[in-house]
Amino acid sequence: MVVLATTNPVYKTLVLAAALAALVAGAGFRRTKRLFIAATLVAAFAVVLNFVSAHLGATVLFTLPEQLPAVGGPYTLEALAYGATGGVTVAAALAAAAPFSLLLASHEVMDALPAALSRTGAAVAAALNLVPAVGATFVQVSEAQRMRGWRPRGPRSWAEVAVPVVLTSVESSIQLAEAMEARGFGSGPRTHMSPVRMSSQDWVLVIASASAVALFAVSIAAGWAGPWAPYPVLTAPPLDLRPLIACILLFTPALQWRSRS
Amino acid sequence: MHPAFHPRAAVAIAQLDHFTYSYPGAASAALRDVSIRIGPGLTVVSGSSGSGKSTLLRVFNGLVPHFHGGRVSGAATVAGLDILVTPTRVLARNAGFVFQDPELQTVYATVDREVAFGLENAAVPQAEIAARVSEALREVGIEQLEGRAVRTLSGGERQRVALASALAVRPRLVVLDEPTSQLDPAGAELLLAAARRATADGRAVIVAEHRLSRLMPGANAFLVVDRGLVTETDPAEWRPAHAPAPPRLHAPGEEAWSVSGAAAGFDGVPVLEDVDLAGRAGEVIALAGPNGGGKTTLLRLIAGLAAPMSGKVTRPAGRIAYLPQNPVALLHRQSVRAEVQFTIDRAGGQEGERPERILRILGLTELADRYPRDLSSGERQRAAIAAVLPGTPQLVLLDEPTRGMDLAARCALIAVVADLRDRGAAIVIATHDEDLQAALADRVVDVARGTLTERAPHELPA
Repeated sequence: MVVLATTNPVYKTLVLAAALAALVAGAGFRRTKRLFIAATLVAAFAVVLNFVSAHLGATVLFTLPEQLPAVGGPYTLEALAYGATGGVTVAAALAAAAPFSLLLASHEVMDALPAALSRTGAAVAAALNLVPAVGATFVQVSEAQRMRGWRPRGPRSWAEVAVPVVLTSVESSIQLAEAMEARGFGSGPRTHMSPVRMSSQDWVLVIASASAVALFAVSIAAGWAGPWAPYPVLTAPPLDLRPLIACILLFTPALQWRSRS
Repeated sequence: MHPAFHPRAAVAIAQLDHFTYSYPGAASAALRDVSIRIGPGLTVVSGSSGSGKSTLLRVFNGLVPHFHGGRVSGAATVAGLDILVTPTRVLARNAGFVFQDPELQTVYATVDREVAFGLENAAVPQAEIAARVSEALREVGIEQLEGRAVRTLSGGERQRVALASALAVRPRLVVLDEPTSQLDPAGAELLLAAARRATADGRAVIVAEHRLSRLMPGANAFLVVDRGLVTETDPAEWRPAHAPAPPRLHAPGEEAWSVSGAAAGFDGVPVLEDVDLAGRAGEVIALAGPNGGGKTTLLRLIAGLAAPMSGKVTRPAGRIAYLPQNPVALLHRQSVRAEVQFTIDRAGGQEGERPERILRILGLTELADRYPRDLSSGERQRAAIAAVLPGTPQLVLLDEPTRGMDLAARCALIAVVADLRDRGAAIVIATHDEDLQAALADRVVDVARGTLTERAPHELPA
């Protein structure tokens, strides 16, 4: 929420650092390695895309001939900085959402939801269980099509793999919905096998996170965390102690989980 | 049709009277004038793919018609509730259901929470849930799995978790729809033993299966479904049917492929180590052994889909045909014929090869212009086999090809494989199916814990 609410790259970077630190503390570097690679690739793509496509800004680093379609024109430091900010935003959003899948089982997320969201949560939990099956279907179909003589030749050729995978996934979803219906899902108020019991450490975490969000929201409303834009000339982003404190509070999970392990 | 009265009809738990059902938009009825009574004990349901077996089972918990829609006439009750006016989610407390695919009925990540899902939906008080979960796990003999992650379980264990989930709600009736179709023989036997035990306490258990020999000795009733008509016969009169073995036209020829001192696995962890095996042109080798033993890895190694971590693999020049598990996943063209033509075209268009040949052998001529995914499950399987195996491949690799197949589809598959064998293809089949081994295999190789042990086709594994 914080990372999406600001354009300031310093605050965004702090949020990213807090999310990554929490992940490493909670799940260890080995389990989070793939996420790191994925987040880096997505962020790099955002940087390159903006650098290549946005020919705005005063500080020109180099220029490609205008005749070159799509890529021709001046390449600026401002476009690079704006792209980097976008990359940090995407990476931070990915890293902040990752604990739900890396650190928690689906039933733990379910148990923590209020009763009104229980049914939606169960449906989401069930849908998440299909993700590995979709991955396995993709591998199986692409291998089987390859053995039938299919070869990837351009984006259109991937329809030979993508279409059967999508069709199979839709059929799987319908079967899962049928199975959930057959198990009484949606028949009325539900109970929980083991409702969540919050420890004092959990409350510290909740209070720290809520305070961070609240302080940052106030900072934006009061103008302490004002907007930043690199165009037309790159300038240093403005900093203020209050939104900085809000970002630092987001390191609470990392500190807690590190001391627990 | 005359009502087929159950011998234990005095205490019918479920009952259908002149029940007729058609799927939305269907020209003909999937169930026609069905009158049956289900009493306590084990009821076995049999019928070819597309006969209406799964539709019949789905009536007992109201998935038909509430989930699938369609037109209904007649009457249906379970545990005294009118199925036609009671929602499935309410009927679920009286009729538990175990589906064919263990992966597509799991909601939660751990065994105990998964078994508790139905109890939570039924709003069973929290204080009772843990005890009911333990009781259900004990009843199917998997109390040791409590707390385990579902994804770490074998298919057989997952199906027993599904059965425990159904039993935990303490329904009067439990329905199992081809529950062993994706299991190895050991997993299937444990599941069916648990299903038989579940008939204690006056409960009714209905099991639909293609392989009946394991079930019939304990059956109290036997229903046969054929084109929507349901008849009851005496279980004692049932006799096993076997797929015939086509006579071999030629002796096997030269060595066609080999694996020498090879290791293979995933993420650097070997599943197979120091494996040696070779096959000849016109020879059929069956790979047997438990799930997870390395059969699929060996097939993928031979196919070239998995690179050897060490050792050497040789393959014949020419096309390799590979039928994966769940081959229906690859069907997406507008007709069955187009699926077959795709493979023929990509294979270089062998002279004179036409889709009609394999469609005829597989009994698909009349379905050639139909959209493959609109077919029944058995017809889809045959369409997938036709899509993968046309022409004259030099090496044919089949991974559990008879999973979920009825006898007619198995006979069709055997005919296709025998035809390829007699035209000189080297064939390797990973299969638990002892009928298939008996009908086709020249040699049987047990693959277990990454090592190979060869035995004669009719010899039991060590």
